Amino acid sequence: MQPTYMNCIAELGVGGAHPGGLKLTKEVLKKEKIVASTKLLDAGCGTGQTAAYIANKYGCQVTALDYNTVVLEKAKARFRSMKLPVHVHAKRGNIEDLDFADNSFHIVLSESVLGFTDADKSISECSRILKEPGTLLAIEMVLEDSISDVDNLSEITHFYGIPHLKTTEEWINMYRNAGFKHIQVDKYKPNLESHNLENSPDFSLSDEIDDQLFDVLRKHHYYMKKYDNILGFRIFYCNK
Amino acid sequence: MSRYYYDLCNRHRGKAVEITTRDGRKHRGIIRNVDQRRVFIQPLGGGRRIGGFGYGFYGYGPYGYRPGFGYGVALGAIATLALLPWFWI
Repeated sequence: MQPTYMNCIAELGVGGAHPGGLKLTKEVLKKEKIVASTKLLDAGCGTGQTAAYIANKYGCQVTALDYNTVVLEKAKARFRSMKLPVHVHAKRGNIEDLDFADNSFHIVLSESVLGFTDADKSISECSRILKEPGTLLAIEMVLEDSISDVDNLSEITHFYGIPHLKTTEEWINMYRNAGFKHIQVDKYKPNLESHNLENSPDFSLSDEIDDQLFDVLRKHHYYMKKYDNILGFRIFYCNK
Repeated sequence: MSRYYYDLCNRHRGKAVEITTRDGRKHRGIIRNVDQRRVFIQPLGGGRRIGGFGYGFYGYGPYGYRPGFGYGVALGAIATLALLPWFWI
């Protein structure tokens, strides 16, 4: 196993491993109209915390997709162990090349996923599989526009496996190019105050965990603080 | 024993914390275990190196580091304990 950021999250089985965690997910979903007949794709479902929440709360038709088989198995185990009111369809797939027909979903939710992919491809795939009207909800990291003299972003892009850090403007243009007509953007600022138990992750460490993963955690923690003013987070509500 | 830090460490088991001991050392890591005398910390950065990237670890105290276990900090030596600010991307 390569000690990458993504593998670290997968091996540790971190739930809600995206900015804002489940709390932000709930706030974002609250603004959408979701009924029992709504077809929703959680693209990049991770260990399935969000998909399980949606199935439980809305009883709609949820498909949970991830490319990483380690987290997908954890998601399946989570769905089996919970008494969910509806079946969650868990499926392995690549968001850059989705195995769904055109106009399949009312909502695609993507929580800190697109930025780790070839976003031109993945956004256009999300657009293709969405019905009209349909909504793409994306929580993404952005490069804050105010910063012009950042010369060494490569250490972040390399560490996280991000092809290209995009400004909010760049994201909006990509959504537009993929056929989204109305794009609303909300800013999200993580609460970095100490004693904020709500955002503090629970690490359930097994004895077999590779020590290298703790190196990854340490670097992640270091970069979070180092680039606190350069990296921001946005919620994009994109309507087709 | 320090009842206060025993309870606090138990409550924060599995959390990433920064502990400052009375000698001024800072210990950053994940709380793995607590017994009557010690809290066992999984240092961020494994256990193989001391110091280095970002911030340093100034040695692993009297109890040493063991993989899968962490290293022990005496509860009576703790001056402060705070959750490490954290978010995922």
